[in-house]
Amino acid sequence: MSREPFSTPSSLSSRFAPSSARASAVKRDSLAAELERDPQMSSAKRQQRTQAFTSHLAHASLERQLVAAHTAKTELETKLKEKDTIIERLEGDRRWLAEREKEEREEKEREQAEWAEDKCKLDSEIRSLRSSLLTLREQHADLQDEHAGLSRSTSQTITSQKSQVATLTRQVSLLETELTDVKRIAEERNRSYEELQSQLDELSAANESFVQKDTDEENWTIVREELHRQAEYMRKLETTNAKMSAELASLKEKHTSVEVLREQKRDLERRLQGYEELQEKSIRIEAELQAARREREEWASRSAEPSTPSKTPVSITQSLSALRLTHARLLEEHGSTLASLRQREAELADAENREKEAQDALEEMQLKLRSLKDKLDRTERDRILADREVGFLQAMLASYTAEESAQDGSKVDEASLQRIQQLEALLVDYKATIEQLEKELEDIGGDPAALGNIRSREDLMQELQREKAANADAQKALQEAEVASEKHLEQIEELEQTLFELRGEIGAGRHLPPGVRVLSMKENPARQWFDLSQAAMDRLKSENDALMKRLKELEQSGARGTGDSSTAEELVPRASWEVVNKEKTELEELVKQKEKRLLRLQQVFQAKSAEFREAIASILGVKLAFYPNGQVRVTSQFDLNAAFVFQPTSAGEGMKMQLVAQGDGGPEDLPQLMRYWVEQEQCIPGFLASITLECYEKSKMEKQRGYGA
Amino acid sequence: MPTKQAPTRQAITLKGSTNLVTEFFKYAANTILFQRGVYPADDFHMVKKYGQTVLVTQDLALENYLDKILKQVNKWLLTGSVTQLVLAIISKDSRTSLERWVFDVNLVEQPSGQSEPAPAKPEAEIQAEIRNILKQIVSTVTFLPVIDEPTVFNILAYTSESADVPADEWVDTDPLAIEAGKSQQVKLRSFSTDVHRIEAMVAYRYDG
Repeated sequence: MSREPFSTPSSLSSRFAPSSARASAVKRDSLAAELERDPQMSSAKRQQRTQAFTSHLAHASLERQLVAAHTAKTELETKLKEKDTIIERLEGDRRWLAEREKEEREEKEREQAEWAEDKCKLDSEIRSLRSSLLTLREQHADLQDEHAGLSRSTSQTITSQKSQVATLTRQVSLLETELTDVKRIAEERNRSYEELQSQLDELSAANESFVQKDTDEENWTIVREELHRQAEYMRKLETTNAKMSAELASLKEKHTSVEVLREQKRDLERRLQGYEELQEKSIRIEAELQAARREREEWASRSAEPSTPSKTPVSITQSLSALRLTHARLLEEHGSTLASLRQREAELADAENREKEAQDALEEMQLKLRSLKDKLDRTERDRILADREVGFLQAMLASYTAEESAQDGSKVDEASLQRIQQLEALLVDYKATIEQLEKELEDIGGDPAALGNIRSREDLMQELQREKAANADAQKALQEAEVASEKHLEQIEELEQTLFELRGEIGAGRHLPPGVRVLSMKENPARQWFDLSQAAMDRLKSENDALMKRLKELEQSGARGTGDSSTAEELVPRASWEVVNKEKTELEELVKQKEKRLLRLQQVFQAKSAEFREAIASILGVKLAFYPNGQVRVTSQFDLNAAFVFQPTSAGEGMKMQLVAQGDGGPEDLPQLMRYWVEQEQCIPGFLASITLECYEKSKMEKQRGYGA
Repeated sequence: MPTKQAPTRQAITLKGSTNLVTEFFKYAANTILFQRGVYPADDFHMVKKYGQTVLVTQDLALENYLDKILKQVNKWLLTGSVTQLVLAIISKDSRTSLERWVFDVNLVEQPSGQSEPAPAKPEAEIQAEIRNILKQIVSTVTFLPVIDEPTVFNILAYTSESADVPADEWVDTDPLAIEAGKSQQVKLRSFSTDVHRIEAMVAYRYDG
């Protein structure tokens, strides 16, 4: 702590100012004296004086200029300080920008990494998409194959259908040829008809040429004849019909008789059942009879025993005779019933025969009846046709009569009539042919279109069968293949197991494949370790050996007293000593290293503490000095005389500072401040802050005063 | 992406593939040494590789040793004369082999029928495979027997007879086999480049 009196510039200046004033007063006095002493030289002196005055003025102005320059200088200095601060700020900004730039760069790098990662990802995606494309292509190829298969099958069906069409066209052509045949026949018929027509025409012409009456009569006769014939035919038919109905009646009667016979037969059968009962009875009786006979024989034997028939009782013989009688009667009865039975049976057979015959006859009759009915139908149809013909002829007749009446009928009518007739005939012909064709068709049985279908269906069935067989074969083959593949899979699994085990053999190093060398670096960690341990072992062994040797020497040298410690110390073998020595050097090295580290730490600490003090000085405006005894000296930056010493008191919680001494500077109202802040408020920071403020104000004022002077 | 030019592609992929495989060995060996506690865990520091954190040793001696080995392995891979690399973990006290980490090196046969070479395998895919192997190595600690004794390791290279061997550095050695009847093995994942296929396996001593 410097205890020299504090001197301020203001005090200096105040001391200086009176002396300068005194000097100027002395000068003025001498001038006045000279002025009084030498009036002649007054002008020159005045001049001189004026000159001196001007020079003085100039001097003053120059001094003012100097002061101005000083102020300008201080201003410039302050400006410079400002600039410095600005520069510092800018520097800070620059640092901040650099940091930003660094951040940006890092971000950029990160982004690049991300980009690369994305790229990799996209690449893999592309790969996967390519693989999917490949699979899709394969699918496409598969689908194409399928398509080809389908087209092949469709073409097959088309060809089969075509062949069907061909057969159908053949049939059609056949039918057409038939149709042409039929047409030909029709034409022939037509021709014949035309011939007939022409004949008729001729005849009619001839007729015309004849006397009309004649023709008329002829016509009539023909018609009458025709009618007669028809009527006769009709009559015949009616008679046959009547005959048939009569026959039918008789048959019906017969049928009724047959029914009666049947009834009789049933009756007989019933009776026969009664006879059977009777038969049973007769059998029973026979059995009784036999029993009786046996009895009789018994009796006879018994009677033989005494050999005197007289002994046999009369009652027995009587009963025997009675029994015999009954037996005979029964036999008789039996015979008669048998006979009647035979008779009945014969009758029954007879009746059955008759019945059969009657039934046969009935069937025959029914057949006949049916055929007759058919015939009747046919004749009926014929009759209808004949009727129609008659109608037609009558119409023709009417036309003839009309012709007759109109004698000179136009030929056009005739021609048209002819044409009509012709057409009608044609129609009939066609009908006939159609009938014929239908009949033919029936004979053939079924329509030809169905035939073709059947054939194709058969083909299809065959094909289906074949396909099924093939399918079954294929399935069997598939099953076999599956079984084989399963076997193979098992084998593969086994082989994989053995392979794995063999790999393990190789992996464990127990098997060395042929033609393979196993190499390792000469200097490998394992070797080094083993070498090291070997070396340690060797060292220990040598130490041990030395010790043993020493021990032996000691033993040999006799009892030199084991309690002698000074000699025991000397007995340490060299090997042990070397080990200890080595350890020592190692430890020394360690110490050196530690020391170096400590030094470096101290340096760092000093640098840091200096930094800290500077920071405190610039921020709080006080300089701190720490003493080893824990005291702290605080000196204001603005007034170096204002210094305070604090001492920490560990009383109470935390650390409190106590003002223990003060410098001889400081502001004038220091005692008041001290009383207020330290004694009253007990707030050291407040005290220091107010001191700093005061000092700052004071220094500022002094500075200003200094410039002003 | 590899270049599309067909003639130079093969050479480039061989070299690139060799480098990839060598790098894989480096990280695999480091991972094994860390996971199996052959070196103290403090010796390792984390490095970002294959899109994950991998622990790599800081022990200078070990680094040098691995570098030397990998350089030679790289040469052998280029000539195709190495068939297997084995990292053997040996007990310090009893000198018995405890684990053998086997990496089979196979050359990928290019299908001869194809006129056009198969599309190059993207590096991302290869890296994913490598990542999976490393993860599997990490996960093996769940089933491998706990090693509670100090161990050292050695790296063995199985080469063909005709391989070019620097005589002063490499020597023929014992295969450090695990005792028969006490060995078990687990097949690990594999990865393949366009040229090489690496199949990993761990065989270990198990005194069940």
